Amino acid sequence: MDDLDLIRGTLDLFILKTLTWGPMHGLAILRWIEQITESRLQIEEGALYPALHRMEQKGWLEGEWGVTDGNRRAKYYKLTARGRKHFSARLSLWERYTQAAAMVFSAKGATA
Amino acid sequence: MKRIFRLPFSRDRMRRDVDTELNFHLEGRIEELVAQGMSRADADAEARRRFGDRANVEAEVEQIDLSTHKRRALRERVDDVRLDVTFALRQLRKSPGFTVVAVVTLALGIGANSAIFSVVNGVLLKPLPYEHSDRIVTINEGAGGDSWNAITFGDYASWKARQTSFEVLGATSGSGPLTLTGVGDPTPISTSRASANYWRAVHIAPARGRYFTDAEDRPGATPAVVVSYAFWQNRLSADPAVVGRSLMLNGTERVVVGVASPDYILYPPAEKIWIPLATPDSKDVDHTDHELSVYGLLKPGMPIERGRSEIAALQRDIAGQFKDAGVASQVRVQSLTDTIIGPQRALVLTLLGAVAIVLLIVCANVANLLIARAAVRRGEIAIRAALGASLARIVAQLLVESLLLGLAGGVLGIGVAAAGVRFLVSSPMSVPRLQDVHMDGAVLAFAFALSTGCAIVFGLLPAVRAARLDLQQTLRDGGRESRGAVRERSRAMLVIGELCLTQVLVIAAGLLIRSAILLQSVSPGFATDNLLVTNIVLPGARYTTDDARETAYQRIGDAVSAVPGVRAVGRTLIAPIHGGGWNCQAWHEGADRNDPSAVSSDVRSADPTFFSAIGAPLLLGRAFTRADVAGGPRVVIVNQTLARKLFGNANPIGRHMGSCMFGADDKPVWLEVVGVSGDMRANGFANEVPSQLYVPTPQFVNGYNAYVIRGTVPVATLLPAIRQAVATVDPALALSAVSTMDDAIGRTLALPRFTMWLLSLLGAIGLILALVGVYGVISYIVTQRTREVGIRIALGANVAGIQWMLVRQGLALGVAGIALGSAVSLIAMRYLQSLIYGVTAHDPLTFGGVALLLIAVAAAASWIPARRATRIDPLAALRAN
Repeated sequence: MDDLDLIRGTLDLFILKTLTWGPMHGLAILRWIEQITESRLQIEEGALYPALHRMEQKGWLEGEWGVTDGNRRAKYYKLTARGRKHFSARLSLWERYTQAAAMVFSAKGATA
Repeated sequence: MKRIFRLPFSRDRMRRDVDTELNFHLEGRIEELVAQGMSRADADAEARRRFGDRANVEAEVEQIDLSTHKRRALRERVDDVRLDVTFALRQLRKSPGFTVVAVVTLALGIGANSAIFSVVNGVLLKPLPYEHSDRIVTINEGAGGDSWNAITFGDYASWKARQTSFEVLGATSGSGPLTLTGVGDPTPISTSRASANYWRAVHIAPARGRYFTDAEDRPGATPAVVVSYAFWQNRLSADPAVVGRSLMLNGTERVVVGVASPDYILYPPAEKIWIPLATPDSKDVDHTDHELSVYGLLKPGMPIERGRSEIAALQRDIAGQFKDAGVASQVRVQSLTDTIIGPQRALVLTLLGAVAIVLLIVCANVANLLIARAAVRRGEIAIRAALGASLARIVAQLLVESLLLGLAGGVLGIGVAAAGVRFLVSSPMSVPRLQDVHMDGAVLAFAFALSTGCAIVFGLLPAVRAARLDLQQTLRDGGRESRGAVRERSRAMLVIGELCLTQVLVIAAGLLIRSAILLQSVSPGFATDNLLVTNIVLPGARYTTDDARETAYQRIGDAVSAVPGVRAVGRTLIAPIHGGGWNCQAWHEGADRNDPSAVSSDVRSADPTFFSAIGAPLLLGRAFTRADVAGGPRVVIVNQTLARKLFGNANPIGRHMGSCMFGADDKPVWLEVVGVSGDMRANGFANEVPSQLYVPTPQFVNGYNAYVIRGTVPVATLLPAIRQAVATVDPALALSAVSTMDDAIGRTLALPRFTMWLLSLLGAIGLILALVGVYGVISYIVTQRTREVGIRIALGANVAGIQWMLVRQGLALGVAGIALGSAVSLIAMRYLQSLIYGVTAHDPLTFGGVALLLIAVAAAASWIPARRATRIDPLAALRAN
């Protein structure tokens, strides 16, 4: 099957959703998304980092240096309270949008 | 979340962090791919492919991090300031006494300064409203010594014909008020005569119409009139068709040709009119009649010195031509600004100096308060420093506190200034342009610059000093003062400076109070009680001969005398106190006007009842009688001063003298002295009694006369009846300048009294501030010495002795400040000379009295805290350490 290009703006939502499970570094976030989507989405991995840092600037995420199991330094991102609030707001917006889109695409014909 | 500890920002570390983060990602991927069975090289290539353009990502992330850092730094700075302000507000709230004293003193200083600055700005600094204000000059002729005279028609005409430095020379001449009829009741309107060139020299575009043309400024031309803006607004209801309208003035119809600009006010009143000067050619050779105020407009670029030397040379020439006519050889050419502002400059500068002194005292006092406060807070500051607050942060914190005080003082000060400006404008100061003074942007800027400047000056010094403390020493001392001597010395200097300035201020106030008291006790030379003064002008159009005028004036006097409640009526040219009469030379028999013994005198007329009505004693001889008629023997009554100057101690009755009284052949006539009157104050109270001479009204007839009317009942209540009585003689006549003599005297005293009040107020503020300053220093010393005093008392020291020791310190400050202040005052008070009356600028009584007052203040201010010291419980004092 063709790789789906990630629809603009949804990467942020994926990251936020992923981080609701707990603090993770960038690579772990990617792996989690790959696992859940069974690698159906092709994400340009480099794009992850500007997104992370931008959300850090907005105060949705907080970066902190930590050490991995393999004893290497990695930057872990944690969802802040503001980030959590922003995510739930965007999520409900997203759900309403996809529902509406689904209704349009599944329509059988004009009724009027 | 607020980070408590964070490493300081560095761009290098930020780059390293980004690099580490991205490397971690790539390496993690490579390991993952290798684990899946790829070769190391393939895995590396695959990971890079999936990652995309690494350099690009790195640059973008770094950009984001940099802006994140900047935003955070800004936010933290704002937070710091907010924290400082909150903290400062809490600190200030915790010591409301200190805060209130500091803010109120600042507000008083800044407010008084801004108010006076508004006046100085509006009166002195703001240029005059005329088109070429900087080129306008006024010209006067010397009248001997420091007095200056108006210009004669002849001198003016020859200057005009021969000068080259001026674009134009113009002239105005006073005129009695003209009576306006046909617009409401007959009303006297203040009037000037002005030449066409006058309007070219002193020019602002008219509000309506135009000023006079040369054709109108000629005898026999159609009578024209220019009205002032206020006259047009108030009397003519701002009639839009005013140009071309006819006004009936003294029975002559005059056509309004223009309305002057609203800014066109050289001299009050605002409601006035101008008629053309229209000098007849015959006047051009008259070098004796000093009537003209001459204004010149210098040619562009022409220095005033050139104009001055040219007119001076022309005048010397004229004086040489007419040696016998007594033509002045001196002239004074000065800028219009100097002419208008000059007389009030001393007053305004004195006020400005006084408020500047108050502001200095205010700043010294607040600095003193802050130093004392910094001392009390040493412990707190040491702890903050120990916890890692930098010097800059602590200084910033203390500065914020000072700035808050300064701003609060500034805001409150603007309120004080607004009230002050209103007070000054409504005051009786006869300062030109004062009425237009208002608070403006410059004044607000001035107030804020002062308040913040003050805050920085008095905040920085104690702040730096407090923050530089030796931490360990302070903490070991438990926050007590260990360098007290240094601190005491600088505070002592401040207090001495403050006392010195206060001394100067209070001496100035003292001199003005002394002169106001002396002025008040000056005898006017006549009985002022229940006396009404009014002027009546007879229109020249209907009263064409001296005979007609004198008859009318006599009939008016008789009619007013018959009013029930009127006890006596007298008539003269100009009533005493109300200004000078004609200024003429007077000489004794055998001499002439150029004789060195000739005396500059003030000439007035008097009717037979004048001296008895006004209550001035006739020391020798007789009053005039109805037999002293126009054609009769020429007689004169001299005042005591003139009698002494002309005749020494000899009896002047029956002697003869000359003055500007002429016979039918226009030659000076000899006047026989028939009486000597007591001296009366002629022009206000502060001016010395001039040499005066009175001639009978029929022998010196004018178009205006003043009546003095004394009542048996309160004289103001008689006014309607008096008006009716005047109307029985001529219903078109108006009473002008109606006022009781007491009110007129009050008006002449209003300015000195106002100056005195203002300076007394400033002096009182200075005194209170000095008291607070001395009190602060002594009570600080007492606090610092609690332990020492406790030990002394425990060892059985005399309580009174300890009190005296402390008071002595306050007195030492006082004596030092007073000595310094007296020395400064000896020099400074010379500038006050023109404002004081009857005392010298170094009046020993004032200097001594003020010194005693300040000693008493210093003693009182030290005694209060000293008393507290002796109530110290020795045990508690010792245990406290």
